[in-house]
Amino acid sequence: MYTSQTNRRSFIKKMAMLSAMTAAATMFPGILFADQQEEGIPNSANLDWKKGPCRFCGVGCGILVGTENGKAVAVKGDPNSPVNKGLLCVKGYHQTMCIQSKDRLTHALVKKNGQYIKTPLNEALDIVANKMKETIEKHGKDAVAMYTSGQSTIPEGYVASKLMKGAIGTNNLDCNARLCMASAVAGFLTSFGADEPMGCYEDIEHADYFITWGNNMAEMHPVLFSRMLEQKSRRGAKIIDFATRTTRSSTASDTSILFEPQTDLAVANAICYEIINNGWVNRSFVEKHCNFSKGLTNMGYGLEDNYKFKDKPSTIDFEAYKKFLEDYTPEKVAKYSKVSVKDIKYLAAIYGDPNKKVVSYWCMGMNQHTRGTWMNNLVYNIHLLTGKISQPGNGPFSLTGQPSACGTAREVGTFTHKLPKGVVMNEKHRRLAAKIWKVPYERIPAKPTYHATEMFRAVDRGDIKFIWTQVTNPLVSLPKTSRYRPGMEKDSCFVVVSDVFPTPTSDVADVILPASWHIEKSGLYGNSERRTQHWDKMVEGPGETTPDAWMTIEVAKRMGYGDLFPYSEENHVEEIYNEYRQFHEGAKHGMAPLEVLKKESGVIWPYVDGKSTQWRFNAKYDPACSNGEDFHFYGKPDGKAVIWQRPYEPAPEVPDATYPFWLNTGRVIEHWHTGSMTRRIPVLHKAMPSAYAEFHPEDAKALGIRNGENIKIISRRGSCILPASINERGLPTKGQVFVPFFDENMMINDVTLDAFCPISKEPDYKKCAVKVEKA
Amino acid sequence: MKKRLGIISLFTLLFIAFIAIWNYSYKKGLEEAYIPITNGTPVLEIPSEKGVFTRSEFALEYLNMPVDETHQRSLETYYNNRAYPGAPPSIPHPLLKGERGIGGNACLQCHQNGGFVEKFNAYAPVTPHPELINCRQCHVAQKVETLFTASNFAKANAPKVGVNNALLGSPPMMPHDIQMRENCLSCHAGPAAPKEIRVTHPERINCRQCHVPDTREYVDVEIFTRTNSRQND
Amino acid sequence: MPIKSYLAHPHSGKKEQLIQALSSIEQCEIMPAQNKEVLILVTETENESEENLLKEKLETINSLKLLALVSGFNTPKNN
Repeated sequence: MYTSQTNRRSFIKKMAMLSAMTAAATMFPGILFADQQEEGIPNSANLDWKKGPCRFCGVGCGILVGTENGKAVAVKGDPNSPVNKGLLCVKGYHQTMCIQSKDRLTHALVKKNGQYIKTPLNEALDIVANKMKETIEKHGKDAVAMYTSGQSTIPEGYVASKLMKGAIGTNNLDCNARLCMASAVAGFLTSFGADEPMGCYEDIEHADYFITWGNNMAEMHPVLFSRMLEQKSRRGAKIIDFATRTTRSSTASDTSILFEPQTDLAVANAICYEIINNGWVNRSFVEKHCNFSKGLTNMGYGLEDNYKFKDKPSTIDFEAYKKFLEDYTPEKVAKYSKVSVKDIKYLAAIYGDPNKKVVSYWCMGMNQHTRGTWMNNLVYNIHLLTGKISQPGNGPFSLTGQPSACGTAREVGTFTHKLPKGVVMNEKHRRLAAKIWKVPYERIPAKPTYHATEMFRAVDRGDIKFIWTQVTNPLVSLPKTSRYRPGMEKDSCFVVVSDVFPTPTSDVADVILPASWHIEKSGLYGNSERRTQHWDKMVEGPGETTPDAWMTIEVAKRMGYGDLFPYSEENHVEEIYNEYRQFHEGAKHGMAPLEVLKKESGVIWPYVDGKSTQWRFNAKYDPACSNGEDFHFYGKPDGKAVIWQRPYEPAPEVPDATYPFWLNTGRVIEHWHTGSMTRRIPVLHKAMPSAYAEFHPEDAKALGIRNGENIKIISRRGSCILPASINERGLPTKGQVFVPFFDENMMINDVTLDAFCPISKEPDYKKCAVKVEKA
Repeated sequence: MKKRLGIISLFTLLFIAFIAIWNYSYKKGLEEAYIPITNGTPVLEIPSEKGVFTRSEFALEYLNMPVDETHQRSLETYYNNRAYPGAPPSIPHPLLKGERGIGGNACLQCHQNGGFVEKFNAYAPVTPHPELINCRQCHVAQKVETLFTASNFAKANAPKVGVNNALLGSPPMMPHDIQMRENCLSCHAGPAAPKEIRVTHPERINCRQCHVPDTREYVDVEIFTRTNSRQND
Repeated sequence: MPIKSYLAHPHSGKKEQLIQALSSIEQCEIMPAQNKEVLILVTETENESEENLLKEKLETINSLKLLALVSGFNTPKNN
């Protein structure tokens, strides 16, 4: 092999450099060298880079936005962010392109005689405030409602809560996180008494096994999946995909195990059975740190209006729990779960092996589940029984889908039952909120009212006469939109929609308020790993666009609550955050001061003595542990986590002779949620212009459906026409159809069922029965 | 008499036993010879995209892919070897294993894992689909340079490099179809990759996390505009 | 023609100074890490004696805390 000396030298130099880079990478995981992304940026471009979190999913990647002449022209990953270490996904790289969309809402629009009239923002806000006041006078406080979002910034969520609960005095505040994270919250509260994951993303660098429960991370949490793939090639870590559908994640994982929808409950119990039966229980951990409980069963599915349920937990002992599990031997469960005995034992052996570190990941597969709370409990059971929790590389990790589902919806608490600290049912929590808000304590009602689904049922029934939605698109994202769209169109309810782009929800609005997008305002988001991230305004928004928090404050002032909202327009984000921080003071949930957040690429709470707490409940890392033991589950009064006895119960609607297919819905990598942003990004729209219906090839053959052919999916509630997709992006199991929900022109949620988990009230978008016809 | 009866009954017993055993073993023999008929043909149950993550057993480590500047291909030679962008490349060298070589006995020996081939003074390009072993079904040799008659076939323009990103510095979109080429790294990484399209970060693996296809240009996808119409109305 | 690569660790907070100092030396090529306090140094010299001179030069740099050799190559001289 002939090579000239000069070439040979440069080759050797490169090799020398490469070996040094490899050495550096082993010493400093996550190290980054001269950024290849910058190579594509011409030197002449004089860009000003500002940091912030990504606008899209709950992973919360750090981004740097390059601006030039007041326009955002480039996005790259923030190399200093411990979340993504400089890497983004295709949505992240192109996010700023949506703001230049031609149909941007730039001015307030007020509906007059069926026509939207461009109105000065001040007048529109007057109309909103007057209508709200008038409705309260005529129909009472509980006739007005606000529906916000896991994409609201922390200040936006905070002022919404303060306005509704503190100023007006109604609990009619819920958010779209009810549709995505409620089961995770209920799971955490029932098992540990404290919300949000105990671990952090750094677990990825320590774990030997990643077990994903009904979760297509390669498309939905791609940056974390890349971190897992990196560990797979570097250390031989294994990825086990446990799902109802073969996806991009399945093909990248080491083992893919498929199960029949809803039987995850049984399989999780079978894993616990095996762990106990084989003596893999971490006895000292369970004795010291766990209690056993059971709750009510046959809870129903919330299909009827005004459905109410309250769990009654009672303590049981280990023997009773063991007895209960006898119904869940791998042999029995294999029969209806379609998971082989071998695979169940394989999963159990991974969890049971004391020398292997295991992280479980899940997101909507487990949360959007009519037994979502139970399912969350069951995975915690596995980790508690084996003591594999709250340690680097060991633990259950609930992923989120929205950028501030944790930071805003869960921590600020924009749910009907929540307060910024604690719940409305608790007098102490109400007193604290009243004190910080400077309102009379009696004003905060002690009873929760409507959760998301019930809120829109109440709109349909006419009980709610005024609703204001912010940063969300419920008429694409709610289940059974075939009921709630006509419900919102009714004249009985005055609808105010704040958004950046027109959506099917703004189509039914009486007033449309033009909101600032992400980088056109300052704000704070909190991601899945408890990381709070701040960003400063980077560009000016068009027209009269205004931050959502400021519009809420303006309305509050117009309603006469000005003294409760003494914030300034320029500095309201900082002022609100400083007020909000008071709620979480202390070692259990301390939030970092704003100066720190401005400097760092996010900080994990509890932030104590200038340090992030990466693993909660573990005395080695968490200063809030006070029982003198290695672990302290301080969320519960006795410091012990709960192992729950939760049985398998079937789904509310299962395929039958008339409706023979399961319908599963979800997302694709190119689009985020209802697509109102990502579909306005040309790159992403071209890559994925419309929704589709995935079939198993054998089902397609039996029905005579060809790829791309239009088919009609029909349920008892509605129908939807989409092109068929066979053996493309994903592959559902036989007897299942999968449809992504981003496409407002092909509304699959007209077809879905509004059954929900009775404990968390989170709807199940993953299971209902449909039939299929050629369109 | 008693003795005789005893002997007869013994033989009868033996005979019955013989028949029973013979029958049993005959049936067993039949059973073994019987091949159960499975109903229906199994359908390929893997999404077409799986190739993104497959790699051959002895493929180069992602982190140690050498760059050998004197032997690298360029995009020009890459496209010269194809009748049109996306066509199966022709075989630009004499067949080492003769005309009858097939798959693992011939082409795949070099083209499965890649590596430097002394004889051709080049690195062997890695095939994105090693599972298809009848290589010459699609890939043909080029024995002569002349044509039977002149042709009016005009080669379509190959996609350009460096113009496929939407924002400054954002990851480029894929300007080509990926059918039969789902494994991006076979052309975009390693010493046989054309230098213009060699990726700097092959170890990322999940290529389509950041690079999405832009092939829908051909069906003329309009910019998304709201139509206010639902298809199912 | 010795070619060597090192990991150069600066004293805390002195990464910029170290980059300055190293990039002013002709035989050195550097590649600083973006998010860690470390940089990669590749040196290329004509012969052993030049190599020794360079080493002495490197040792005088104040901002340099530690230099860890990763790999070394020696190519034939005829170039």
